[in-house]
Amino acid sequence: MTTAFWIITIVTLLGALLAVTLRNLVHCVLSLILFFLGIAGHYFLLRADFFGTVQILIYIGAVAVLILFAIMLTRNVTGEEGPREILGMKWWSGAVIAALVAGVLLHAVRRDATAAVASSAPKPLSVADLGRALVGDWVVPFEGMAVLLTAALIGAVVIALEEVQRRR
Amino acid sequence: MEAVYHFLRSLRWVGDWPQPVLWALAFAVPIVFVVVVFPLIFAYTTLVERKALGRIQNRLGPNRVGRWGILQPIADGLKLLIKEDIVPAKADRVVHTLAPVIAVIPSLMLFTVIPVGSGLIPVNLNIGLLFVFAISTGSVLALFMGGWASRNKFSLLGAMRSVAQVVSYEVPMVLAAVVVVMAVGSLSTVDIAAAQAGGWANVTNWFVFRPWGFVGLVLFLMGAMAESARTPFDLPEAESEIIAGYHTEYSGFKFALFQLGEYLAAIAMAGVTVTLFLGGYNGPGCELPVVGKLIGMGWFFVKLFAMIAVIIWIRGTWPRIRVDQLMAFAWKLMLPMAIINLIVAALYHYIEPKLLAWVVSAGLLVLSWATLSSLSAPPHLQKRTYRYWA
Amino acid sequence: MTLTLGHYLGMSAILFAIGLAGALTRRNAINVLMSIEIMFNAGILNLIAAWHFRYFESLTPQLFAVFAVTIAAAESALGLALVIAVYRHYRSVNVEEMTALRG
Repeated sequence: MTTAFWIITIVTLLGALLAVTLRNLVHCVLSLILFFLGIAGHYFLLRADFFGTVQILIYIGAVAVLILFAIMLTRNVTGEEGPREILGMKWWSGAVIAALVAGVLLHAVRRDATAAVASSAPKPLSVADLGRALVGDWVVPFEGMAVLLTAALIGAVVIALEEVQRRR
Repeated sequence: MEAVYHFLRSLRWVGDWPQPVLWALAFAVPIVFVVVVFPLIFAYTTLVERKALGRIQNRLGPNRVGRWGILQPIADGLKLLIKEDIVPAKADRVVHTLAPVIAVIPSLMLFTVIPVGSGLIPVNLNIGLLFVFAISTGSVLALFMGGWASRNKFSLLGAMRSVAQVVSYEVPMVLAAVVVVMAVGSLSTVDIAAAQAGGWANVTNWFVFRPWGFVGLVLFLMGAMAESARTPFDLPEAESEIIAGYHTEYSGFKFALFQLGEYLAAIAMAGVTVTLFLGGYNGPGCELPVVGKLIGMGWFFVKLFAMIAVIIWIRGTWPRIRVDQLMAFAWKLMLPMAIINLIVAALYHYIEPKLLAWVVSAGLLVLSWATLSSLSAPPHLQKRTYRYWA
Repeated sequence: MTLTLGHYLGMSAILFAIGLAGALTRRNAINVLMSIEIMFNAGILNLIAAWHFRYFESLTPQLFAVFAVTIAAAESALGLALVIAVYRHYRSVNVEEMTALRG
């Protein structure tokens, strides 16, 4: 499990790094997909099969495809950007802030959580239990999610359609 | 896998081999099965498709290589293997090369959760159906990557169409399959197939014989065909509009890989359709003690080939639909129908006796279909007369 | 060496920082959205890791992850709709050029 962890971690970190540094937008999305796959691999490793599959279904199947769609609707579709202003003022400030945040988080993790080892082999959670909980104790947040998704759907359509109607 | 292991244990001349060897064999058999049998089916599906399309279009189809063109797939494969592999000068080389590989992998992975017989499944995931939907979205990435990396406007149009199409058809397809999940109470494909056993000659319990099952089958099949870009929905690769779309710039074996991926996805989706709605491996005689498994496997493949034949038949019969028709069909007709179907399936579950439930739900579905199709009917067309003269 | 919760928390901290750096330095709105997705995923990974190592008898972490994923999906759909609307207006998706307050 440890070897698998390190391999998947390297893939995930590589995907994330490439996704924020590459110049070509489409290449960024493809590395983002690599990152999503790595996260899904971590979920499978953690015995959360359901979440690994959901990760692939939602993030790769929906979010990444949506981003690709947005790229094709907005920019020149080759995805090339202008010259990168690497090592400029903004880049440095962003990198320093991120490094500081990472330092704080890592410090907190080191102080707090290194001791927790899986007490026994967790068995994969059954989807049926999850479903029962969603319509049982958790039904109010669940319905709230339904309302949120509907609102987001309508909102997205309204925002994206607005300009078209004004033009007519 | 366990089934193979126990089968090997029971054989007289293999049964007392050391355990790790048996496990390795039990591991290898499903893999070899998936990697060899289904591509073989693919090869001959192309031949059958070309023959059948030829007959539909009043041609003979391939008949030169071997008797009835039986060696045609091998000749095609050899031809594609020795062809020059061209990458356009302006293309994005890495993505261009990766795309065909990514086209094949998800299609092959789909076969791992399709039970070809009772207990004969490579991996019994308890979330099998979700896995199918998750993996099948991977194919859209391949189409997009191939179309985008070619730096060709027609390829890019194909890529864009495929993205729009898959995003729209995913939703009604998943909702159509949810009906079955509701009836069975499990996402595992093994449980779904097992739930359709029993009844008269192991036939009457297939979900296709329930009103919601029939509607689900039609919706699911349409969604699956759209997802694997088969003909009425083959806008991403429309030859006559955008010269083969995303694989315009592909040649040689990369082109063959795209074809392989597309056909494997179609075959796998036919397999999933069989498992979900047509009873999987269930059929007359599959409950027999010893030969039952083999008979069940036979039934599965018979149904699979029947589904493939239906898909080919549809390809030969229907014209390609327009982009606006494609979107309107998915969002205005299929999606509401799938949601109504969900409600009807729930009603069916609670109404007793089942005969009444059958009649009520069938009536509701017919009524809603009539309403929906009349709502989204195109404006009445005037009769037009075309005159051609010089 | 056995894996502990700390490995996962540390990794997702680094991922979060990468996403933050991207969100702060990139100029393209779509890139910023992608960086936000990375941060979201780092957070959800923490929930699942905590479930695996500490609370695997409990459903709560997984349910929290379900809700987080749902919100993230809704957020990205809305974000991309906004990007398209902004692009129609400014003919650009560069976040530094979106300075006018009037529509």
